[in-house]
Amino acid sequence: MITPPEISWVAIAPDLALAIGAALVLLVDVQWKPAPRVLGWLVGAILAVGAGLTILQWEQGADALASGDTESLVAFSGLITMDGFAIFSRFVLIAATGLGLAAGWRFVVSLGRRGAEATALVLLATTGFSLMVAANNLVMLFLGLEVGSIALYVLAGLARERRESEEAAIKYFLLGSFASAVFIYGVALIYAGTGSFEILGIRQHLNDFVISSPAVIYIGIGLVVAGLGFKVSAAPFHTWAPDVYQGAPAGLVGYMAAVAKVAGFAAIARILLTAFSDLADTWLPVVAGISVLSMVLGSVLALVQGDVRRLLAYSGVAHAGFIMTGVVGGATDGVLFYLAIYAIQLVGAFAVVAVVSGPDGAGSSLEEYRGLGRRSPLLAGAFTILLLGMGGLPITSGFVAKFGVFTDAWAQGYQWLVIVAVIASVVAFAFYIRVIVVMYMDDAGDEQPLRVGPERWVLALAVGATILWGIFPSSLLDLAADALPI
Amino acid sequence: MGKRMVETVIFVIAALAALAGAVTVVLARNPIYSAVGLLGTLFSVAILYVVQLAHLVAAVQVIVYAGAVMTLFLFVIMLIGVDKEEKRVEPLPRQRLWVGILAGAVILFAAGVALFGEFVWVPAAATAIDQEATNGTIQAVAEPLFTDWVLAFEATALLLTIGAAGAVVLAQFKRKRA
Repeated sequence: MITPPEISWVAIAPDLALAIGAALVLLVDVQWKPAPRVLGWLVGAILAVGAGLTILQWEQGADALASGDTESLVAFSGLITMDGFAIFSRFVLIAATGLGLAAGWRFVVSLGRRGAEATALVLLATTGFSLMVAANNLVMLFLGLEVGSIALYVLAGLARERRESEEAAIKYFLLGSFASAVFIYGVALIYAGTGSFEILGIRQHLNDFVISSPAVIYIGIGLVVAGLGFKVSAAPFHTWAPDVYQGAPAGLVGYMAAVAKVAGFAAIARILLTAFSDLADTWLPVVAGISVLSMVLGSVLALVQGDVRRLLAYSGVAHAGFIMTGVVGGATDGVLFYLAIYAIQLVGAFAVVAVVSGPDGAGSSLEEYRGLGRRSPLLAGAFTILLLGMGGLPITSGFVAKFGVFTDAWAQGYQWLVIVAVIASVVAFAFYIRVIVVMYMDDAGDEQPLRVGPERWVLALAVGATILWGIFPSSLLDLAADALPI
Repeated sequence: MGKRMVETVIFVIAALAALAGAVTVVLARNPIYSAVGLLGTLFSVAILYVVQLAHLVAAVQVIVYAGAVMTLFLFVIMLIGVDKEEKRVEPLPRQRLWVGILAGAVILFAAGVALFGEFVWVPAAATAIDQEATNGTIQAVAEPLFTDWVLAFEATALLLTIGAAGAVVLAQFKRKRA
């Protein structure tokens, strides 16, 4: 006789809402063929429900933590948790999805009858990544990763009419599958070395036993970090990023990049800082090395790009390096704060790209931004603030985020890493300034103001968040500090 | 000759067959040969599963991979045309050499680690599995699948949905004239 499993609806409520929402979008589209506007409201409602349920989870999790009852935070026989870390990351994911869909909505509408499938794929990708950030089990984490990634591969190829989009999808798919295989092999080796798939089980094993010859575990950690490093486009696993960012439909790139980074880094932080915290001496140098390589390579290569999307891709590589310094610093709140800030800025920056190069355009040459300051002053102003925020100018949120991860790494004894990171930030500033100079100092070839659709709300929110949390960061910092993994 | 010896011999034969199949997949000029090579690899791996007493996995491997997936592969190859041999023009002359050297170095490193590194596998993982599971019965697989792992099982349903929706959305498109 099989005893039925215990179902914890609370633990999966937001994911369930998103998954059911995706099915609903598909079915409503088949049955009633609604206008894009109706579809938009439906998706908005689904995301609002998901976000609301996430906030409810937060309350529940805070109660459980206050009463010291961490057991109740683990659900489904240890497959997933609802600790603060998971809920915070999940909220960031849902917020990025809402903003990203708004930024890409003109593209979704331009797909016509295929728009519903595209929307459903976005919702499913978020569901997958949301399960991934909550996973307390490496198998569950892998499944979430695959659900999210495979949906993203399809999204990259949505503008298949253009060769670039097809190329982006194929490249992303082939390299991504390879990275997933590397990741799962690492998981297998970790299982062989510790006898457990569970994050907490692995930590327990490493606590209880002295590992006399840990080669298997070391290789396992290395492969897992390599696999996830691909997803967050950390060097040397970043080569796909510029081509995919350039080829994928402009409206959706911000969403794709943001959720992959958030989920990937949440998984890296959870695995390294929770499961393998006892082996920190072995993985710290490796992660610090990846961090340095990403920062240096990303910043230097971004300097020479003539295309804004490729520039943002390489700056994303540099940002992956900055976030890695937070992982080296060993504090999850710095990483989470950075992720939240960066995800919003990234979606905002790509909303500008979507306006300038058209919702499904290929590439976004720097030439197109010439004289944007005169052509569309508000758009150029928003882009300027977002770029300065990414660069980490004081009184923007980017500065607070960088300051946080750098101080963590400094306290951990990685002063040299922080020094490299600060130099890389200065170099990174140069290419952000370069875009700004092009926008304001040059004459426009075309004086016609650009048409801004729903992107304006995304930009307003992103700019607002960048300035607000740059001046009053404590509201978000406190939340991130409460968002601890179990 | 002990049980261990028999296992080792079977392992070596099946592993060599699997490798030979994999090499055929990469080197064969005719795609049909590649497909048949893959079939050989899949069957050899199924034998390895049987040696590990995972009879159900072995059966699934044969039915799903060697049966269904291979049929699909052959179907696609037949649709595209068997007689088209690959053109032997080298588009990436230098990269291929570097990749070869790199792959060789990695393989040597892995072999070195396997030979000289002291690997310790955790026996706890093996003892945790009960006797029924080691007999490879369907029940022993099904019960954890629908109890402890039910959420992971359901998450794979999302994958199928993505597959269906993704295929629909990618298949319907009109190529703009370049």
